[in-house]
Amino acid sequence: MRDYFFAISRLTVLLTRRYFRNRTAIFFSIFFPLIFLFIFGGLFGKSNNTSFKVAVINDSKTTFSQQFVSMIGKSSIFKVQSGVTNLDDAKEKMNQSQLDSIIQLPPTFGEPGANHLPNGQVDVYYSESSPQTGQAVASILQSILGGVNAKLTHISPPLTVASQSTDQNGLTSFDYIFSGLLGFSILGLGIFGPVNTLPAEKNTGALTRLRVTPLHPSQFIISYMLSSLLTGILSITCMFLVATYLFHFHMEGNYLVFILYALFGAVTIFGIGVGVGGWAKNVRAAAPLSNIVSFPMMFLSGTFFPRYLMPEWLQHISAFLPLTPIVDGLRMILTEGKTFTDLGPQLALLAVWTIIIYAAAFRVFSWD
Amino acid sequence: MADPILTVKNAKKHYGEFVAVDGVSFEVAPGEVLGILGPNGAGKTTTLEMIEGLREIDGGTIMVDGINVAKDPFGVKRIIGVQLQSSAFFENCTLAELLVAFAAMYGSHIDSIALLKRVDLADKAKSYPEHLSGGQRQRFSIAVALVHQPKLLFLDEPTTGLDPQARHHLWDLVRQIQKEGVTVILTTHYMEEAQVLCDQVAIMDAGKIIAFDTPTKLVEALLKRGFKPHTKVQEASLEDVFIDLTGKGLRD
Repeated sequence: MRDYFFAISRLTVLLTRRYFRNRTAIFFSIFFPLIFLFIFGGLFGKSNNTSFKVAVINDSKTTFSQQFVSMIGKSSIFKVQSGVTNLDDAKEKMNQSQLDSIIQLPPTFGEPGANHLPNGQVDVYYSESSPQTGQAVASILQSILGGVNAKLTHISPPLTVASQSTDQNGLTSFDYIFSGLLGFSILGLGIFGPVNTLPAEKNTGALTRLRVTPLHPSQFIISYMLSSLLTGILSITCMFLVATYLFHFHMEGNYLVFILYALFGAVTIFGIGVGVGGWAKNVRAAAPLSNIVSFPMMFLSGTFFPRYLMPEWLQHISAFLPLTPIVDGLRMILTEGKTFTDLGPQLALLAVWTIIIYAAAFRVFSWD
Repeated sequence: MADPILTVKNAKKHYGEFVAVDGVSFEVAPGEVLGILGPNGAGKTTTLEMIEGLREIDGGTIMVDGINVAKDPFGVKRIIGVQLQSSAFFENCTLAELLVAFAAMYGSHIDSIALLKRVDLADKAKSYPEHLSGGQRQRFSIAVALVHQPKLLFLDEPTTGLDPQARHHLWDLVRQIQKEGVTVILTTHYMEEAQVLCDQVAIMDAGKIIAFDTPTKLVEALLKRGFKPHTKVQEASLEDVFIDLTGKGLRD
């Protein structure tokens, strides 16, 4: 038994050293998840304040219409795309989803009417595919015009609405998506790493050489897993630093709980990668199987899209994917400050998967 | 003759219809060097792999130092050292690191530098195996096979592709290992190599051993059958000329 772990410890040291001398591997395990973090952090980080991209087509020459256009420009809700001056161009851009809506002021807009006040009607165009956007833009304009009307007529409206957020923790949508991104990078490191390297090393003969020694496959798998965990810790630490300092991530939970839970998740997912990579005779055999295994988890485990958006039957199935308890658990720790005692169901599901995955991986492993 | 360290009795191996090894039997005494000769596809490598516990034995028994290979392949792996025909090692690992890790697989600690000195690679301790020359790689491969002080060492075509200097150097190494009491079993395509190194030679063809004796006796038997060489026997060979002109010094 002492010999069993002695071999594991030396092999882990060897594989870890080797890993840190391989620049490509370091790039993929550290910078690749960071690139994802930047992309998705950028996408979701700003979505907190909703805004609409609009084009304003002003066909009127009146001073009032000029003032009204500059008022729209100052609004934080509208992002006015400058340079679009005719309706046909604007419609084409809206078809390409570059614009959410078009605001048109007709030639007579702002000309004095019977009451000697500026009169007119604002036309709002929206794409048929998003009527909600059209309604939202129209009602925002309505409220802006309501303010203008009140000023012009000197009547203050008796009934008003004020809105405020109830979000007490100040959770941003980035905080929410971050645990999904962590789950995604665990999936990437744990599956795509071993699935690519193990069959390649069978082909060079480096693994075959181990077969003539008394080394047991489980010793190799455990060493390989441990050396990958070290890189996983490094990768997750980098993601955490970027999230905290660049995306102002709010950590609600305990760091130790987070690290231990993330490691447990990484051990489980890594078993899938080493099982597939250890089974496959070459890279061509490994790729399709690893895709079949990882794609459902990538999209159904709540990494990019919350699971509650899925149809109910799909939620029931995706709840049992190995990555789901990882993403759910990380989210509960990171955003709700939960600890192990609250994570019973997730830990139990993860434990069952770990046993199944490693029992299978030890069994199907081959040296060549 | 002392108790044989290796006994192969009627060993058989077939892949479907194809019979790779067809009832092979021989014995090897401790401290001997046995050469297995034969054309490609004769069953040399398959025979070795059955003894090493890498291939299932379809028939017969193989005993290595009293251990039945079929029953305890891991027990056999602990007392044999193997140099594979096409061996590769993990990239980006130094020779010294690899030796330490391989020794650990047998549960032993080693002085990697001392072992590298034995195979003349002490100055390469911090190199990666992928940066070694052909001869150096074969020597390193033998060093890896020696990390746990095996009783039996298997060399599968150890000098194929090496230049004459590297080959002579490797022969010296094999003799040195034999002197230390290790039994060596090697396969080769070079008859000169077999004649120089081997105490016993087994000639295989089509999965069978067709001759088994000392090199001298095999040659004598041939001459007794009335064999006449095609050419006049020369006092020296072209290889002697080559070594005389280019020297014995290693070029890697």
